[in-house]
Amino acid sequence: MLLTLFLLGLVYAVLIGVLIAAGAGAVTIAVIAGVLFLVQFFTSDKIALFSMGAREVSPQEAPELHAIVERLCVQANLPKPRVAIAQTAMPNAFAVGRSPRNATVCVTTGILNLLSPSELEGVLGHELSHVQNRDVLVMTLASFFASIAAFITQMGFWFGGAFDERDNNSGPAFIVVILVSALVYVISWLLLQALSRYREFAADRGSAIITGRPSALISALYKISGQMQAIPQQDLRAASGELAAFYIVPPRAKQTLASLFSTHPPLEARVAALQRLEAQLQGTA
Amino acid sequence: MGLFDVILGRRRLARPAPDRLFAVSTAYVKFETELGITSRGSAAIVFQPLSTADFEAIVSEMEEVVKATGGESGVTVQSSDDPYGFRWLVLRGSAFDDLVVGINAVSSSLEAGGYGERLLCAVFAFQDRQQHVLYWIYNFKRGAYYPFVPAPGEQQRDTERELVLKAQVGAELPVEQELQRWFPLWGIPI
Repeated sequence: MLLTLFLLGLVYAVLIGVLIAAGAGAVTIAVIAGVLFLVQFFTSDKIALFSMGAREVSPQEAPELHAIVERLCVQANLPKPRVAIAQTAMPNAFAVGRSPRNATVCVTTGILNLLSPSELEGVLGHELSHVQNRDVLVMTLASFFASIAAFITQMGFWFGGAFDERDNNSGPAFIVVILVSALVYVISWLLLQALSRYREFAADRGSAIITGRPSALISALYKISGQMQAIPQQDLRAASGELAAFYIVPPRAKQTLASLFSTHPPLEARVAALQRLEAQLQGTA
Repeated sequence: MGLFDVILGRRRLARPAPDRLFAVSTAYVKFETELGITSRGSAAIVFQPLSTADFEAIVSEMEEVVKATGGESGVTVQSSDDPYGFRWLVLRGSAFDDLVVGINAVSSSLEAGGYGERLLCAVFAFQDRQQHVLYWIYNFKRGAYYPFVPAPGEQQRDTERELVLKAQVGAELPVEQELQRWFPLWGIPI
């Protein structure tokens, strides 16, 4: 986490240098980026909910769901967020909102049908941990400078075309600006992904602390992740035919390059971390 | 399996150390004292029967041995077939250690007779303070235990409880680390 923050700070420093080198355009860039940042900050939750087709539900419409959220908020010492449900078969749950007082927790009908109450509690604990850790704010701030870099790249293309005929000396300087901005953007995006993965581990840990049942979250993660990685339903006697014949260790998909680009850590890493927490809880760690 | 085994298509099965079965005897102390889990007085060993006379002879010989050694401790043995075509030898007795000894006797005879590959697993039945049934299944080929807790409903399992049991038992039992190998046994007759 510290390394990621340090590297992000380094990225910002390089960016400021580039902004100064870009000259007069910097003020315009800063103003536009600032306005967009404020728009993103205040409306991103509504946009996210709208895109998922989520609808806020009252305690009368979804009493059990509200009861679970209330219990968790008492435990986590959080103000109770708004609760929304999205009508889709895909199991998912997410939390949006810039601060704990302006948060919404959304679940899909798919996840409500899939999970048992204790598993749902684990998942909602994870989402409320995101709210408590102000992850939306953190990720927005972190991505803010990445978006400035993207703007510089676009501005560079625009200015580069305008100054080409009149002043040949400034041509190469703007190309450098564009290249540096693009590089800054790529690096900051990869660091953002790493930051996001760290926040996911932190939210898992938060859920274990709030609910006291890390194994319920493990069980929920397996159910959501689908059949390939799940704890099996198939009887040992039905499975043993293949096992006896081949004794091939199940292949482990190598996740090196793909993991750089994913916002969530791999399932096995999350499960291993949660199992360590459970062992600590049980006093056997 | 080394590289040459892969290239030449040879298959060498690792024989797990036999005394890993006995780990449940020492773990049972922790079950009873700390976790409130007691034996239901029954254990079973599951294997694929062969119709050869040699195999049948070994099986009936095993049953005699268990009855003989179990005579003093009161371990009875019962044999039944299940819908998958596997045979269950169910041992019942009040002393848990005797059950483990009996299971080991059966598995040793089968392995000595050269039928070790026919062995599927051993199942030990327990209950907790709320009278919920839970099983520890020992996979002979992997040499490791895993918990199995059936839940109400058709072919349902309480995965959360199983994971908690894994954490509770800690290092007392050699537990199967790959959760994808925690195969359930539906319709356990003990």
